[in-house]
Amino acid sequence: MQRIATASEIGIADAVRHAAETKTPLEIVSGGTKRKFGRPVAAETMLDVSAITGIVKYEPEELVITARAATPLAEIEAVLATKKQTLGFAPTDWGPLFGEPKGKATLAGIVATNASGARRVKAGAARDHVIGCRFVNGRGEAIKAGGFVIKNVTGFDLPKLMCGAFGTLGVLTELTLRVTPAPPRVSTLALRTSPQEGLRALREAAKLSLDPTGLAYIPDVFDPDETEGGTGGGLALIRVEGSHAPLEDKLARLTARFAGLDTIVLDDDTTRILFRDIGDGKFLLSRNCDIWRLCVPQSDAHAAVEASGARFWYADWAGGLLWLGLPASEETATQLRFITKKFGGHATLMRGDAAARARLPVFEPEAPARATLTRSVKHAFDPETIFNPGRMYKDL
Amino acid sequence: MLDLPAPDMAVLARRGAIVRALRTIVPDGVISDEATLTAYDGDALTAYRQRPMVCVLPQTTEQVSALLAYAAAENIRVVPRGAGTSLSGGSLPLADGILLGLSRMTKVLEVDYENRCAVVQPGVTNASVTRAVQAAGFYYAPDPSSQIACSIGGNVAENSGGIHCLKYGLTTQNLMGVELVLINGERIRLGGKHAGDGGLDLLSVVCGSEGLLGVVTEATLRILPKAQATRTLLIAYDSVRKAGETVAAIIAAGIIPAALEFMDRPCIATVEAFCAPGYPPDAEAILIAEVDGMDSEAEDEARRIGKIAKANGATSVRECASDEERARAWSGRKAAFGAMGRLTPDMLCMDGTIPRKALADVLERIAEFAIKYRLGCCNVFHAGDGNLHPLIVFDCMKEGELERAEAFGADILKLCVEMGGVLTGEHGVGVEKKALMGEMFSDTDLAQQERLKCAFDSAYLLNPGKVFPSLHACVELGHMHVRDGRMPFANLPRM
Repeated sequence: MQRIATASEIGIADAVRHAAETKTPLEIVSGGTKRKFGRPVAAETMLDVSAITGIVKYEPEELVITARAATPLAEIEAVLATKKQTLGFAPTDWGPLFGEPKGKATLAGIVATNASGARRVKAGAARDHVIGCRFVNGRGEAIKAGGFVIKNVTGFDLPKLMCGAFGTLGVLTELTLRVTPAPPRVSTLALRTSPQEGLRALREAAKLSLDPTGLAYIPDVFDPDETEGGTGGGLALIRVEGSHAPLEDKLARLTARFAGLDTIVLDDDTTRILFRDIGDGKFLLSRNCDIWRLCVPQSDAHAAVEASGARFWYADWAGGLLWLGLPASEETATQLRFITKKFGGHATLMRGDAAARARLPVFEPEAPARATLTRSVKHAFDPETIFNPGRMYKDL
Repeated sequence: MLDLPAPDMAVLARRGAIVRALRTIVPDGVISDEATLTAYDGDALTAYRQRPMVCVLPQTTEQVSALLAYAAAENIRVVPRGAGTSLSGGSLPLADGILLGLSRMTKVLEVDYENRCAVVQPGVTNASVTRAVQAAGFYYAPDPSSQIACSIGGNVAENSGGIHCLKYGLTTQNLMGVELVLINGERIRLGGKHAGDGGLDLLSVVCGSEGLLGVVTEATLRILPKAQATRTLLIAYDSVRKAGETVAAIIAAGIIPAALEFMDRPCIATVEAFCAPGYPPDAEAILIAEVDGMDSEAEDEARRIGKIAKANGATSVRECASDEERARAWSGRKAAFGAMGRLTPDMLCMDGTIPRKALADVLERIAEFAIKYRLGCCNVFHAGDGNLHPLIVFDCMKEGELERAEAFGADILKLCVEMGGVLTGEHGVGVEKKALMGEMFSDTDLAQQERLKCAFDSAYLLNPGKVFPSLHACVELGHMHVRDGRMPFANLPRM
């Protein structure tokens, strides 16, 4: 594979212009930890942007940070931590799911895959935090969109469109994100109960005015103490944040609400590690299985899990996200899309071998009118179809 | 001043036939007599008026779909309109256009507490979403000041904000999905009761697209449980700068208030005379700070904000002791616009956003502009998120005042951009600010945005003449029509 590496936006623009003229497809790679997420890219040339790094501007009082696109997430988190701030959507580290090392994710990769962790249930996804960007479009033009302030409706919100576009619309060169004060303390109330009751408990907790920042359910198949097959019990995890007194209040209210159930309070450190693992997909990592992510309305989570037939699974976002250990097969794809058709939502093949990812619709197939629109939008950004061709859909 | 696309004479010549055709689609909802059409000749940007060719008020998605398909086939321009409260002229009609009013689609279709969302039609007012769910202890967070009148369709089109968006986000953060009718009449769904969407996040560009991409016929909105406690502080200062420094210090202390509003002396005096909210009469500036959450949380944050305010030179800090007192404190802020309206025949409400740290400098420069243009101006300001609302008062009937007011406003917005901010925080670009887009974006940046417009509406029939400073034909921008879901030359070898 041919590799073009450049450390500047001008360099990227030149490379893209040349690629457009010669109709040379490009695989855009930043940290490279999620190259195996999505369909295999039909390109023999890699555009390596990993040198486009560095924090451009960080103004804690403005709650905003601007960084060049390939800045390592770890670097950004470390700088924010010095001012007791954080990225509110709890960006995830999916590298290990794809056999890549931990801690190598970059901002551009996080944004391109909209990689959002457990806090999404309260704070929204990456797309809700990206407020500005610079990118190079498929004509080799450097484009600015959005701004450096949180409240902005000037022009179309292109920075959000870049989130989750898997690099098919442009090469990101700079990103501006809003940041949030880091919670002083976090804690978790864990309820031991069945999947159905546990998922219901998560929705009940979301209805209380406690601002839970994590609502997950882990079935007992992952519990090392349980015998093979499990007992039908598992852990519903309700994470809350705050300074000392409010946090105690929240835990007290939760404990009262779920009186009669088998509960345990998890401390700050345990909570942080646990919910990071939940976002990172760690419970399925060691299973050596293929992985699907299924999003359905929260109230349909239990029915969706049952219908999927998954034995190894867990739920995040109050059931709105189901991590399923299921094979990357036609049967699974058909079954999961039957479920999304029934309940609404979408299923994505998160981990599978290259042959399966080439064969199966990795992303939720679109209805015809929507599919036409998606292609028009792609064309508006990348008229020669040179960015990550095939990554999201076979012909795009 | 009105810089809209020249009317298409061929369309105007067919007006009679068009009205008849529209009546077959919406038999009871076509307005074509001139007197009634005059009621639809503009929105809350009152300086601009234009009677539409015809106005249609559909009641169903099927009707919206049929009439857009008709308009596309007949090459007729369409301007979508919610409640007509846009402050940027977003729903200003076109002389040769169909004004598509969604005000009769007012049903709350479903409230789903298990998934904490409400599914509503576009004509439902912002405030009635909260009304529909408040008995169960829920509310809809975005709260633009026009919330008793403005509609959800308009809120989605403009990505409306409000007083509480620093903590709870703008419309885009509270919008889970839409049903969108495209200009060719096709209906698509983006998002829904589930998290996100499988493909490209088209919902994110539809929200805030000012009616240029499609017509929203249904919206799924996130509803939130009401906080246990709310506390409101009224803080007075003898200088604008000290108020600005307090804002920065609150954020730096890690507190995200539910609301943090600023008013300057002229504004305080005006609203005090209007509805007597009980603001300190001798203050140069006041902040209204509101925190919410658990009892202990709100108490703790209110106490810390009070301390920070005093450390930054506040002359008084008063906590509202009751719900009535809180409502009174807010009444002044929410009535600022109306109160000014009583004193002046016309006003322009500006909407730039600046980095918070530039607040004092920007207000000083605005005071200089006011002297230069010989016009009055008072400032209300969503201080928490840096969103300025200078209200420029003038009289249209006086020679040259409209022009001076517009030049004054343009100077304010250019200043916002110069300070690292943006032209509009929540009102939209519309016709009002389109000529200023070049202050923020290059021609290349704007061409990219227009190409997105072309992807949705290649004939440029939906709300043309808004947002972009000049109209380009889509072919000029390199747009290629995608038919039947296939890319052009899909089979061309590309390796």
